[in-house]
Amino acid sequence: MATGIPPTHWVNPNPPAPAQKPPATTVGWIGWLRAHLFSTPANSVLTLATLWVLYWIGGGLARWLAGAFWEPIWANRKLFATGIYPSEQLWQPAVVLLLVCALFGLSAGRWGSIMRTVGIGLAALLLLLALIPLGGMAQAVMAVGLVLLLAGYWLGARGGVASRWLVAGWILSGPLTFVLLGGIDLPLLGASPAVDSNLWGGLMLTMLLAVVGIALSFPVGVLLALGRRSKLPVIRYFSIGYIELIRGVPLITLLFMGMTMLPLFLPSGWGNPSQLVRAMTAITFFSAAYLAENVRGGLQAIPKGQYEAADALGLSGLDSLRFIILPQALVKVIPAIVGQFIGLFKDTSLVSLVGLLELVAVAKAVIQQPEWLGVAGGVAREVYVFVGLVFFLFSYGMSFASRRLENKLGFGKR
Amino acid sequence: MARATFPDPKPPFYRDTRTIAVLVQLVFLGGVLLTGWFLYNNMTTRLAAANTTTGGALSWNFLSQTAGFGISEGPAFQPEESYGRAYWVGVVNTLRVGLTGVLLATVVGLLAGIARVSNNWLLRQLAGVYVDLFRSTPLLVQLLFWYVGVIAALPNIQDAAELGNLGYLTNRGMYLSWPQLTETGLNWNGWLLGGGIAAVAVAWLQRRRMRRSGRLGSGLLAGIVAGGIVAGAGYVVVAANATLPATTTYELRRGDRGTLFEDRNGNGTLEPAIDRTLAHVPITLYGAQDEVVAQGATEQDGTFRFTDLPAEAVRLTWSTPPPLVLSEPQRQGFNFRGGVSLTPEFVALLLALFVYTGAFIAEIVRAGISAVGKGQWEASRALGLSTGTTLQMIVLPQALRVIIPPLTSQYLNLVKNSSLAIAVGYPDLFNVSRTIVNQTGAEVQGIVLVMATYLTFSLVTSLFMNWYNQRVALVER
Repeated sequence: MATGIPPTHWVNPNPPAPAQKPPATTVGWIGWLRAHLFSTPANSVLTLATLWVLYWIGGGLARWLAGAFWEPIWANRKLFATGIYPSEQLWQPAVVLLLVCALFGLSAGRWGSIMRTVGIGLAALLLLLALIPLGGMAQAVMAVGLVLLLAGYWLGARGGVASRWLVAGWILSGPLTFVLLGGIDLPLLGASPAVDSNLWGGLMLTMLLAVVGIALSFPVGVLLALGRRSKLPVIRYFSIGYIELIRGVPLITLLFMGMTMLPLFLPSGWGNPSQLVRAMTAITFFSAAYLAENVRGGLQAIPKGQYEAADALGLSGLDSLRFIILPQALVKVIPAIVGQFIGLFKDTSLVSLVGLLELVAVAKAVIQQPEWLGVAGGVAREVYVFVGLVFFLFSYGMSFASRRLENKLGFGKR
Repeated sequence: MARATFPDPKPPFYRDTRTIAVLVQLVFLGGVLLTGWFLYNNMTTRLAAANTTTGGALSWNFLSQTAGFGISEGPAFQPEESYGRAYWVGVVNTLRVGLTGVLLATVVGLLAGIARVSNNWLLRQLAGVYVDLFRSTPLLVQLLFWYVGVIAALPNIQDAAELGNLGYLTNRGMYLSWPQLTETGLNWNGWLLGGGIAAVAVAWLQRRRMRRSGRLGSGLLAGIVAGGIVAGAGYVVVAANATLPATTTYELRRGDRGTLFEDRNGNGTLEPAIDRTLAHVPITLYGAQDEVVAQGATEQDGTFRFTDLPAEAVRLTWSTPPPLVLSEPQRQGFNFRGGVSLTPEFVALLLALFVYTGAFIAEIVRAGISAVGKGQWEASRALGLSTGTTLQMIVLPQALRVIIPPLTSQYLNLVKNSSLAIAVGYPDLFNVSRTIVNQTGAEVQGIVLVMATYLTFSLVTSLFMNWYNQRVALVER
């Protein structure tokens, strides 16, 4: 070039060192341990203390498990499942179970969402129960239930059933369950002897109480929630009074009240309702107050613009509730209602204190059985651990499904 | 000329929304009243037919009738006392287990909640398992498990499990060492009260001074120091001035039981005409040759008993005790004396309640801490505040705002859940009310009484927590 500057060959006098592997102490499992357990001296002490606690608990648990005696649970599996329901009529609860399986399958296929998660859980449970040698019949029923569930899912996913028919099916399944469990009189197959509701028990009764409680309390709860937000003072104060009264007292007082005072409130000629009906009434009244508060949360989350838009469209108060407000509010409170259902499911254990034979009452009866009197230390621990596990399985399963739903609906994200 | 007909600008009264609102409310009220009257009418009819021992349908006279049953724990209760007082004992028992439970549940929940957001992976997982496990099983199952599965399986009194110096664990309950005021310590009460007043006053003054000079803090430390100084000085004074009635000679035989007390003339006596009992006084027995035969101390009610005297003692002396002693449970026959004894029912109920509620509180605390944005930590760090100050002045005040409302409902739940006492036979207010109802047939009154009591608890707790919540609430423009 004309300028005369010699072309230079630029060389970096300090070339970068070749990339080295990170030190072994920051990657791999050693790095993980350092980062999560031993990052600071205090953290290390905490880790060691936790390890000691774990060793202490785990050691005790292992020692107990090694000597645990599970025979009472296996021997009483029928009692835990259905209580003292007559053995020769167990096909009736079996039909109810199959019906529910089919409905769950169809719903999971049709609606997806939480139904699918619950359906998967139910399928896993059925599969497990079908594999455990419970006895030929029970296994067969579980296998058929599993098949119905899968078939229903296939059918529902292909759009083989309309949503409204499915809703109708769910609504009809309620009374049908009571008819089936109570004993039916079919014109062709002949009558099956009536089964008194005092004979219903076990996990079946626990489920029934929780489902009936939440289903019946739903309309009442929605009305109470609307009432609490009403502009009419009489209705508002009535709703507030009811909700706060019920929420202020323990469920057990309501259960005892239902057991002893419900018959008093009825006219003399009506006789006394069965214990099951009394317990269900108490649970429904209890659950309605809590449901009302959950629904109120949903109603409050609806922006005012929605009400105003509905008014601007000329919708009547009822129509704006039906078509605009409630559909949005109820979707918002599904996770809260699932949470309430879980709570109610656990709370049904209290009916054992008023003489109904649900899971905990069965556990008490099994512990008292004379066969296990000779077992050193008694069988109470094994039985209560088992019952606790059953409750845990359902509660935790449902809360897991609910959490997935919340994530999907985008709650709790900002 | 035809007049234009305009619709009446005023709608007829039956289409006026204001009229409709009044009418709807009247109809609703009428319906409620009618249903109420119907139910009440049925009830009185049935009650009259049932012919209960309470006489009239809704008489409250039974509250003053003799109960005729004993209550195993709580304030002393004799069967000759009234139903009303029995119910009161039940209320006290509910508060006893409820308040202790609230305290322990808060501690456990706070620790577990902080552990849930800890940097330590292992601790976080452990706390997670605790929360999931205890939240997802019914309280009743947990209660029965603790009562029948754990406490009933503890060793019996002869081979009681020792908890170091703290006490003993047995299948008949828990026996704990407990600090107790002795005879001379009664004079210390006034000093303690004075210390408390001094602590509050100094804390308030210090806080005001700090605010004026623009510093942060609560003056709590200064208050504690001031209170401690007053109480400590009082202890020294009381211990120095402690005197007891003059020792008298007393003939004591093997297995004798007596009550040490002070009579009107200031003489120590062992006769049973009690004027003022002397608690926690060390007693020494001497034999004929002035040798020490046995040593012990009087109980809270002044009684003492020596069960294994090697020989007959001829002389008894007592010495002046310090104002405060640690009363340790002593095995005596088939029981323990001294310290504090907790029944298995109380322990099981307390354990179940605080472990269960603690799991719920842990979730609330975790949610509260997570609710404070990361930016708050970073901004505070940018301002140069230390971690402790950040936690105290930035994070906790914001977290508390989220934590307190659900925490209140957990406290209320704990008190309401204590009604499960009926499952293990702990005499709480609900359990006692069932006994009363079973004996008197006062079904309706019993339920009304119980509900009113629980509602009162709810109301008082809500008022207090609302007041506290307002204090920590966000001050908006």
